[in-house]
Amino acid sequence: MSDTARDRLMFVIALIMAAIYLFPLYWMYITALKSGSEMFATPPTFWPSVPQWSTYAYVWESRGMGRYLWNSLIIASGAVVLITVLGVGCAYVLARYRNAWVDIGLFLILMLQVLPASLMITPIFVGFSQIGMLEYPRLAVIIAIAAKSMPFFVVLVRATFMAVPMELEEAALVDGNSRVGAFFNIVLPLARNGILVSAILIFMQAFGEFVYSKSIIQAVELQPASVGLNSFMGPNTNEWNNIMAYATIYVTPILAIFVLLQRRIVSGLTSGAIK
Amino acid sequence: MKRLLSSIRDGRGFDVVLVAFPLGFLFLMAGLPLLYNVLMSFQEVDMFSLGTFLRPFVGLKNYRDLFAQPETLPILVNTAIFVTGSIAGQFLLGFGLALFFWVNFPGASWLRGLFLVSWVMPGLVVGAIWNWILSGDFGVLNFILRESGVISGNIFWRSDPNYSLYAVIMANIWLGTAFNMILLSVGLSGIPTDLYEAAELDGANAWQRFWTITLPMMRSTIGAIIALGLIFTLQQFDLFAAITSGGPNNSSNVTQYWAWEQSFRQYDFAKGATISVLMIIFVMIASVVYVRSTRHEVRG
Repeated sequence: MSDTARDRLMFVIALIMAAIYLFPLYWMYITALKSGSEMFATPPTFWPSVPQWSTYAYVWESRGMGRYLWNSLIIASGAVVLITVLGVGCAYVLARYRNAWVDIGLFLILMLQVLPASLMITPIFVGFSQIGMLEYPRLAVIIAIAAKSMPFFVVLVRATFMAVPMELEEAALVDGNSRVGAFFNIVLPLARNGILVSAILIFMQAFGEFVYSKSIIQAVELQPASVGLNSFMGPNTNEWNNIMAYATIYVTPILAIFVLLQRRIVSGLTSGAIK
Repeated sequence: MKRLLSSIRDGRGFDVVLVAFPLGFLFLMAGLPLLYNVLMSFQEVDMFSLGTFLRPFVGLKNYRDLFAQPETLPILVNTAIFVTGSIAGQFLLGFGLALFFWVNFPGASWLRGLFLVSWVMPGLVVGAIWNWILSGDFGVLNFILRESGVISGNIFWRSDPNYSLYAVIMANIWLGTAFNMILLSVGLSGIPTDLYEAAELDGANAWQRFWTITLPMMRSTIGAIIALGLIFTLQQFDLFAAITSGGPNNSSNVTQYWAWEQSFRQYDFAKGATISVLMIIFVMIASVVYVRSTRHEVRG
């Protein structure tokens, strides 16, 4: 077998495997386009006979999705800003030095990364209610998410800073830059891409966050889309085409960002978690 | 004062400031809650004492009560099944895929990256999709299994206590396989190729090469991935909320969902805190294993 034939064969097999793996995603998109009766047809149809595009508009209106997505956006953006402002400097220092203190700091950060949100929410909720933070539920969720996701961000961004040559910074210092100047003019611009990719990863995570929002935000008009989806799915629901339309509207922007930036996101992710 | 300012602008002080704020924030928002959790597990907490720190101290009563409950043991067993089932499934599928994509062909890395969409999707959405796929009467999974002759009658994945836990495990395996595959791929690409060339010259077949080179060379990566898998599986909450809500009758309940249920459904915050403390200790042990297996990276 020639090399090109082998490559083609491998590609086709890989494509089939990807298709099988991504079938749930396909099923979401297809179900959203089915009519109420076609959805419950036996055997199920694998292509909608008459695509119901109006389902999207109906779900958007009836579930008030604009408001849910807006809240998700606020929460995710707030968390990303807070994490970036606090996390970048921390990652920089942890990347720049090698000593026992840095090791201890890294160890603590890795330990904080692993605490499950559904277990941490009990003390956070009680503590927040005692200091009156529950008056500002979205801010409370932003802070909780920031505390949860910052360790992951620091680990990822630290890997980026490690790739920036120290000599460049030293040269800037020799040229009369202050530490602050060297950091903002030399190091930060060089690490910009890595920081951006990590921030996007954090954004995607925060955009789908559920546990904290569900537990802390009681008012429906302040809840994000994940909580909205959860309350849409009652125990005996039969509006699966509407639910899948909701899910489609919710995830398609995330999937679009991911497919566009796939290469960078994958390499950013792998550099941080395991080397 | 002036010296302090100039140190912050151009000296050690700069580093200290950069680290102090994030670590202070993490201490306030992650460290203190952790300690508070331990404190609450020794207290009697109810709706009336929620506003005060000085609640009646009850010693180990919460822990004794917890283990006296009939559902505790089944839920712990469920957690063990969920964790082992999910990790085994994710790891084996992920390893298989990683080995397949290791054979370099045009488009391999792009296609491999595409698998990761399962991981970037919100957990609630993944749960919603699987909830519909696993539906008893109209679910597409039952249809496929029926057509291929694996089952003769529909399985009610979500409402049959014998299957509900496996329904969530299936969704979780789907969610985590891609992540495992990507990390394993990184590990595979780090193995020097001349090892394989030498083994081939010595007449080792593919099977022997896998057992004597690939697996031993991947040992630290595999250790890290299994520990990471343990950490992620114990964090899994959204799928339970979206597929079974821990039911029917706790048959698919696991500790991390149960702790939340105790606090936010039963308003028994002390019990929620008690379960959390036990689980957090367990997760921390797992994370020590993880940190140890990636230590060579930490130390440089």
